[in-house]
Amino acid sequence: MTKRVRPIEILLVEDNPADVDLILESFEESTTPSRLHTVSNGELALQFLNREGDYAEAVQPDIILLDLNLPRMDGRDVLAVVKSDPQLMHIPVLVLTSSEAEKDVRDCYQLHANCYIIKPAGLKHFYQVARTIEDFWFGVAVLPVPP
Amino acid sequence: MLRGGNKKNRSERVLTKSLPMLMGVIVFAVFLVWSWSLYTGWAPSPMVVLTTGVIVCTCLAAIAYRAKRFRPESDQERVHTLEAAVERYRNVIDTAPSALVMVDPKGSICLVNRAVERLFGYSRTELLGEPVEILLPEAARGHHAAYRSHYVSDPKPRIMGQGRDLHGRSKTGASIPIEVGLTPIRMPNGTYVLSAIVDLTFRKQAERELAKKTAEIEAAEKRYRAVVDTSPSALVMINSDGKISLVNQAAEQLFGYEDGELLGQEVEILLPKSIRGNHVSFRNHFFSQPEPRVMGQGRDLYGISKQGDEIPIEVGLTPIEMPDGLHVLSAIIDLTHRKQAQRTLAEQAEELRRSNAELEQFAYVASHDLQEPLRMVRSYTELLEQKLQDSLDEKTRKYMHYVIEGAERMQRLISDLLAFSRAGRRELERDPVDFNKVLSHVVTLLRATIEERPGAKVTWDPLPVLCATESMVVQLFQNLVGNGLKFQGDEPPRVHVSCEAKGDTWLFSVTDNGIGIDQKYADRVFLVFQRLHERSRYPGTGIGLAITKRIVERHGGEIWFESQPGHGTTFFFTLPMHPKGQKDPPI
Repeated sequence: MTKRVRPIEILLVEDNPADVDLILESFEESTTPSRLHTVSNGELALQFLNREGDYAEAVQPDIILLDLNLPRMDGRDVLAVVKSDPQLMHIPVLVLTSSEAEKDVRDCYQLHANCYIIKPAGLKHFYQVARTIEDFWFGVAVLPVPP
Repeated sequence: MLRGGNKKNRSERVLTKSLPMLMGVIVFAVFLVWSWSLYTGWAPSPMVVLTTGVIVCTCLAAIAYRAKRFRPESDQERVHTLEAAVERYRNVIDTAPSALVMVDPKGSICLVNRAVERLFGYSRTELLGEPVEILLPEAARGHHAAYRSHYVSDPKPRIMGQGRDLHGRSKTGASIPIEVGLTPIRMPNGTYVLSAIVDLTFRKQAERELAKKTAEIEAAEKRYRAVVDTSPSALVMINSDGKISLVNQAAEQLFGYEDGELLGQEVEILLPKSIRGNHVSFRNHFFSQPEPRVMGQGRDLYGISKQGDEIPIEVGLTPIEMPDGLHVLSAIIDLTHRKQAQRTLAEQAEELRRSNAELEQFAYVASHDLQEPLRMVRSYTELLEQKLQDSLDEKTRKYMHYVIEGAERMQRLISDLLAFSRAGRRELERDPVDFNKVLSHVVTLLRATIEERPGAKVTWDPLPVLCATESMVVQLFQNLVGNGLKFQGDEPPRVHVSCEAKGDTWLFSVTDNGIGIDQKYADRVFLVFQRLHERSRYPGTGIGLAITKRIVERHGGEIWFESQPGHGTTFFFTLPMHPKGQKDPPI
């Protein structure tokens, strides 16, 4: 485990403000310092990642939390673009969705998603999942150091 | 003049009468020769005299005989001659193959020959002098006298009763088919009539046999014609020139031609114009190598009706050797309906695919879009509860609990309904599944439930391996074993699974010692959302057995139960040992 000096930069791509708040809420209790950047659709996500438009000053995130069903450009497309862009493909993408469809699970892994998480029903479970993400991705797993 | 007959008698007679005269002539001749020798001084030897005498005598005798021939016969000789002639006539008449009957002007029989005796079975003496009607059938006798006198009034040789079937009557009463030729013979005392009677028995019999055979052939022909005509396949036969030599009603109907209109036409009349040219060479090729086969296999064939409509067809060709050469019989099947059915089927399949896709979409919407707001309701109610923990009174906390519980139940209903829909739609993948492993897995899945109930035990006999969709089989046992554990009274729950072979199916049973099910609910328990107990006692959505039933049926089996309330329940289900096909389409 590497001790980090700077907080973990998280890009959350989520169109539902209620979910955004819930995720913010659950990450607030995190022991690992992190910064959550939120965009509400796929196009904005790519602008953020490419530091375009309003996001010229954006940092490259350490990890992406990606909802699948998004307006305009959906999560699958964002995933496909990220995983085929040499500048971005190293960033772990965690699909966080309410879809239980087997097809979605398979498709996402085929597009090289790093993991697929179904949004749990119930606050308790939601907190649990947030804890697990933290523990694993910010603790157990070693992330690449940004260039 | 008739000659011959008693030649020997006659020459004897002549010889006896002329012998003395001959001797005299010889003596006279010898005297003449001797006188001539005296007169001329010629002195021949007595031998010469005798020889010359004999020669002269013979010449004279010959002259005398010639002279006698032109001499009129005596009355006695004439009688002899006539008698001989009559004898000859009688012989001729008697040996004639036709029966001859002569009738005198009074209508009595005055002459019959042996053929008449043979034909009618009477002897000559029985017939002579009898009225000719004795030889006629009783029914014809009455009119015959009138016919006879009519004939005599204008007697000409002719055939009797032309165009009618004539019959004679034998002595025994048998009817004899005959043909009668009539010849009038005028005599000084009136007109005699000679009837030449030909026995037609054999001819009639032959005619009858011929007629019978012809009828048989006609009947056979009719039968075949009927078979050909009622055949649902259109049949068209062609000869080696490609001309239609036989066509049945189905073919005429199919191509829209009138009765017999196609006979003699070239078969290409039934083909679309574009392929007529090629067909002639195909046809010739077939005649050169005639073997039964299906025409244009793998291609879509079309015929053309009289009205010019193209008809999709299938054609079977059979060469048939006939007395007038090789013919080819084409059995033509109209594919219009089949093609139509194929199109309809394809359309329905497309429709089904579309509706399946819609269902898929619905299922997705249900799983995601319906769950999402419920998740919000639940999560935020819980969040509120957590944030406001201290300031909430008992009542508010209870109400919030209802909100959370309602959302929770709704979530479960949606996911169960989704599972039910998936059990129906998902494609079956049939791989060998070890049911023992399935049971171990199910026990792991149900661990929480088992641990909740003290003393709960799930056991199973050795189970078979058979082709099925593993995830469905897991769900099937999870539901059944789960129910067995859930619907329990105060006893420690026991669930046992066993299996036995029944013919070509496996019969599975899942037995519990629970509260049992009243048999009157036998149909209801397998319906969606049917619950028999209040939710507070036995929680659940009431969809588990509906899913179970669907899984069993999709695998080609049946499910039912036997139960005594208070004494447990056994669920039985069957699965075929050899499922049909590796895959089957979703419902």
